[in-house]
Amino acid sequence: MKEEMLDCLGEACPVPLVKAQKALEKLDAGDILIVQIDHSCAMKNVPEWAREAGHNVEIEEVDDGEWEVVIEKVK
Amino acid sequence: MREKKIEQYDVVIIGGGAAGLTAGIYCGRAQLKTLLIEKSLVGGLATYTNEIVNFPGFPEGTTGLGLMELFHKQAKNFDVKFKLTDVKKVDFDGEVKKVETFRNIFEAKTVIVAAGGRPRTTGAQDEEKYLFDKGISFCATCDAAANTGKTVMVIGSGDAAIEEGTFLSKFAEKVIVSVIHDTGKMDCNEIARDAALANPKMEFKWNTMVDSFEGEERMERVVLKNLKTGALDPVEVDTCFEFIGYEPNTEIFKDVLNLSKRGYVVTNELMHTGIPGVFACGDVREKELKQVATAVGDGAIAGVEAEKYIAETEMFENQIMQKEKIGLIYVYSAIDAPSRELLPTMQEIEEKFNGQVKLNVIDLYKGKSLCDRLSCDVDPMTIFYTKDGEVVEISDKCDMPSVTESLNKFVETAVR
Repeated sequence: MKEEMLDCLGEACPVPLVKAQKALEKLDAGDILIVQIDHSCAMKNVPEWAREAGHNVEIEEVDDGEWEVVIEKVK
Repeated sequence: MREKKIEQYDVVIIGGGAAGLTAGIYCGRAQLKTLLIEKSLVGGLATYTNEIVNFPGFPEGTTGLGLMELFHKQAKNFDVKFKLTDVKKVDFDGEVKKVETFRNIFEAKTVIVAAGGRPRTTGAQDEEKYLFDKGISFCATCDAAANTGKTVMVIGSGDAAIEEGTFLSKFAEKVIVSVIHDTGKMDCNEIARDAALANPKMEFKWNTMVDSFEGEERMERVVLKNLKTGALDPVEVDTCFEFIGYEPNTEIFKDVLNLSKRGYVVTNELMHTGIPGVFACGDVREKELKQVATAVGDGAIAGVEAEKYIAETEMFENQIMQKEKIGLIYVYSAIDAPSRELLPTMQEIEEKFNGQVKLNVIDLYKGKSLCDRLSCDVDPMTIFYTKDGEVVEISDKCDMPSVTESLNKFVETAVR
């Protein structure tokens, strides 16, 4: 039950998505990956990908224009 | 299992479309601690509509996304908190309502269900590539004018399909209707059917359903399949309107709320669901017209009702069901003279008991819901006696000697 932070601040699409995909691969089911982003396009494609893959997703707006995408690996 | 974090709110709103955001604005303004949970992006179904020209206050028109961003901003200005995640489970039993996401359990005094709905789709090949603003529309009111002089297709033959198709024929050059049934047979009412069949701008493709959608960036043609012959028929159109029904997002409320046959939440005109403290508003409700304008009205009512419910709960618990003194709760009605005339008598009795008794009066005419909380359907001229915040006696004898006698059973120092 790890919780891992992934800093993607200042990075434009599709870098956050690719990074998130790679990071999640290394985690086990039940672990949580928190992707920090500040590009609004990543706020769309990262959660969309994670949801489609069947994981639990929550987006939190930490600051104006800064978000954390919380992904719980399901399988 | 990871432990879920528990947070407390006055109001939890499920759904961030026009109805939920409006409810949020009203709750936030009433200084209630409010949380809005949205599963994808704030703004709801309205954000799928490119042009909104019938929402009052925007004479030049606006975009769905633009309008919803303004709603969102306004709710934030009133300190509404937002969580962007799925609601997994709700529990509306008991006074504290629970709303569960994968990381949290939110405990709330009231819940407003504004989960909305989604149009049903055909499931044909490549449909998802063109949904909403890329050639496949679900709203004639929204996109008719943009198709002035063009060729459009309508899928379906129910009331919505044929009536919207007829409406579209006022704008479009040609309206091609794909009907799954044999020639002349439709699911809609006969008046609409006859009008449609007589309409020179409407053309019908019988025994057909959509096989696939084709096009580059935008959808350019619909490939229909004849159900009898199996033949494929590519039809060039500018927009395809699908009217094959609408599905409410009520899966998680199935065994919790009273749903209509079609799966929508049944409410009264005050957005009450029948469960105290749980309200529903917007497209998720069983109702006729589903527009941003009607969602806004629903949301405002739900917000105000939630606020009233919370205020009333506090009043009921702290004042009416007070624990300090013996309680004398007199139920009367402002429109019933005999019961009204006893009010001074009740005050006299309270004074007579020298601070041992606390009188509360409930006007049935104005505050029926307060009376409902005593979980008793009563007539005016009823008295509830309470001790330590619990009802110990209910009586309809309201004359001075009877009331005095009853109170003497509970107070420390009897009074004559």
